[in-house]
Amino acid sequence: MSEIAAKAAVKPARRRLLASRLVPYLLIQALIVVATILGLRLLQPSDPDAFALGEFSLREDGVARPVMLPHFTSSRYSLADPPLYTGAFTFRRGDAAPGWSVFLPRFSNAVEVAVNGVVVLDSRRDANANRPDRNTPQIAAIPSSLLREGANEITVRLLVWGPLKGFLDTVYVGPDAALRPAYETRTLLFVTLPVVFSAWQSILAVILAIMWLMRRREPVYGVLAAAMVLGVIQAFSPPPVPPATVSRLAAVLLASAPMESALIVVFGVLFFGWRWPRYGTLLFAPGIVVFVVGLIAGPPLPRILFLVLGIPTVGVCLFLMACVTAAAVVRRQDAASFTLGCAVSIVLTCWVHDMLSVFEIMSNERIFVSRLSYSAMLVAIGAGLTWRFARALNQVDSFAGQLVTRVREVEERLKASFVREEARARAAALADERTRLMRDLHDGLGGQLVSIVALSERGHEGPTITDAARAALKDLRLVIDSMDDIGGDLMLALGSWRERATAQLRPHDIALDWHVATPQGLPLHPELRPWHVIQIVRILDEAVTNAVKHAQARHITVTIETRGDGQGDGQAGGHGGRGPYGVISVADDGKGFALAGEVASAGQTARGLRNMRSRAARCGAAFDLHSDSSGTRVRLQLPQIFPDSDAAAS
Amino acid sequence: MSEQGETGEAITILLVEDDAPTCWRLQDALVKTGYEVRSAGTLAEARTGLGERAPRVLLTDLRLPDGHGVELIRETRQRFPDTEIMVISALGDEESVISAITVGATGYLLKDAFPTDIATTVRDLVAGHSPISASIARFIVRRTQGAAQNSAEPPPGPVLNTARLTPREIDILWGIAKGFSYAEIASHLGLSRQTVPGHIKNIYRKLEVHTRSEAVFEAVQQGLIKL
Repeated sequence: MSEIAAKAAVKPARRRLLASRLVPYLLIQALIVVATILGLRLLQPSDPDAFALGEFSLREDGVARPVMLPHFTSSRYSLADPPLYTGAFTFRRGDAAPGWSVFLPRFSNAVEVAVNGVVVLDSRRDANANRPDRNTPQIAAIPSSLLREGANEITVRLLVWGPLKGFLDTVYVGPDAALRPAYETRTLLFVTLPVVFSAWQSILAVILAIMWLMRRREPVYGVLAAAMVLGVIQAFSPPPVPPATVSRLAAVLLASAPMESALIVVFGVLFFGWRWPRYGTLLFAPGIVVFVVGLIAGPPLPRILFLVLGIPTVGVCLFLMACVTAAAVVRRQDAASFTLGCAVSIVLTCWVHDMLSVFEIMSNERIFVSRLSYSAMLVAIGAGLTWRFARALNQVDSFAGQLVTRVREVEERLKASFVREEARARAAALADERTRLMRDLHDGLGGQLVSIVALSERGHEGPTITDAARAALKDLRLVIDSMDDIGGDLMLALGSWRERATAQLRPHDIALDWHVATPQGLPLHPELRPWHVIQIVRILDEAVTNAVKHAQARHITVTIETRGDGQGDGQAGGHGGRGPYGVISVADDGKGFALAGEVASAGQTARGLRNMRSRAARCGAAFDLHSDSSGTRVRLQLPQIFPDSDAAAS
Repeated sequence: MSEQGETGEAITILLVEDDAPTCWRLQDALVKTGYEVRSAGTLAEARTGLGERAPRVLLTDLRLPDGHGVELIRETRQRFPDTEIMVISALGDEESVISAITVGATGYLLKDAFPTDIATTVRDLVAGHSPISASIARFIVRRTQGAAQNSAEPPPGPVLNTARLTPREIDILWGIAKGFSYAEIASHLGLSRQTVPGHIKNIYRKLEVHTRSEAVFEAVQQGLIKL
């Protein structure tokens, strides 16, 4: 419900937005159209009216009749028997200016001018002058020997090739100095300027093509480059008219204009970020048809086809372009779309102007301006794109700068976090170490101190409290000793242990025999950690304590040796061999566990044994106890590599 | 039974220990053996005791109520070079023992040692046999390794100058650190068993830093300080 209501609310809102954006835009475009029309009127080149010749007699198809220039003749496809305009002018030798000329501001398609029966100008020799879409003027000096005092005759043969109608603008005959400026103005406007635009277009085509080659994922540059190339070809291609040497090529090239306009529409769609619809390809169909016909059929069919198919296509494309830009203006409201929209409006106005002129609805001097305005638009687009590209480069530069700053910031943060992390890791290691220390102290010292307290409370004086206190001190020394860095040499820890054990055994009058079977003692273990040392030393302590307390031994022998892998029980054979491992054994000459007999101590012994086994397991060592009436032997086979974590503890 | 020096008179011991029970315990063990023991509970008392007559042996704790035992050891070493000095330690940890050795002590005594061991240790000391423990030997040899590696950072613990130790002395220390007896060390190194205690005393003497200026001199000699 609410959704529908929301949708319903959105639609009028969107319509309002559309209206509020489209209406001002259309009004501005209307203004631009008006301005263009006014501009075209104002910019109409002025001709020296004092020397105009308007009254001619036209002989066409064998019939002569008086006509007034400018004049349209019917369209024709044959060059034989062209319309002949005959006029007269008066020449006075006494006039100041010596050189006289004949000036034809506009004609289509070609003229042959004769003065007093002698040809002074034949525009067919200048291919470009014959292009109907160019408003090329012609001027020719009249040799003074031709001029007669008084009345002179001038004849203009108008060569027309359809389907366009022939046209002859007012002819001017007079002193060259008076006619030349008008001619120069027209040449500048209708000959030089298009060439300049075309040159400009070709340069932009190269630039855009390079951009597209380097950035394939932006086809908009490629499309525009193609349009520009077509435009340049069109500007410099010979007109498909009879004097043309390569008429077939010229006919094929007629397809360039509709193609180019279709490409411009593609460009517009892509430029404003839309997808080019598949059916949009139809827009190229007229161009292709003209191309194919130009390839197959001989003149004048391609020209006719161009007129009925090509020119309207250009118009349709311009209209589509206007729609695309209008949509873009509504949607984006940015300078690029607005500028392009204005340019399209100008070109469209010029095209309509030309159409009106072709169909003689609007009387003017048949000056075609759409090509000129279109070239100007293309140049503007190209310049805009280049400008956008340069701005993008600037943005990239500033982005790179920002990136450097950002990277530096991130680096700083990373450094800080690394310091934090390091501190955290240190704290964690410290906490781990503290945990281990607490556990070790708890295992030994804590229990012994509690035992001391208990014994004192019961009022037992004498050796038991002493024993417990000594054990506590011994354990404290063990814990402190184990924290020393012994560089993986277990022998160093055993050295201290021997000292303590000897001191412990001396009052009991028990001898401790120390037997290192292999010269180096035990292999080095770089992975050896304090907690391994504590476990091993506690196992040895337990073994010695058992021997003293329960077995009533007189001698305890500690044997230390290194064994190689896969070797037998051979002694002193620890040299070499793969993965040497150490073996520590504690043997006594007591009466053994089995014969210990006492029920009270049996439980204690069993617990001690269990402790020894679990400690050995935590270090990855193999524990073996052999006990009989001749003594007890504890054998501890150390691992080749001590386990890193205390996994077996749980 | 009475322990007597070369002159025949009883050997005098100055025992400096602030904890009364420990003091009694040590004193009992020593007096029973026949030593003449004077005890002091503070640094001041100990100085007074020293002022009267030079003891043959000084046994001192390090942490005293009015100062540090190291000062006492240094003073005694300077005033009475013939007095044997031992530090009394509860745990025999390197920190306290080594710092005492560097100012002139030549051994240490554990506070909980058995009475017979206490007497034996003092007797050996007077006879010129300085006791050394495996952990102290280990500490010293590991310092010699650290010095050989030229590590930029000094290892933690008290400053120890091991540069004057000979390779043989270092070998002996290694043997002790690994728990070998003097006899075993002597046979390994091809020495006479009797010479080993003398070597150990030499080691103590070499580790001793007599004065501040000497310490500086040593440091310069070894390139530890650049002038």
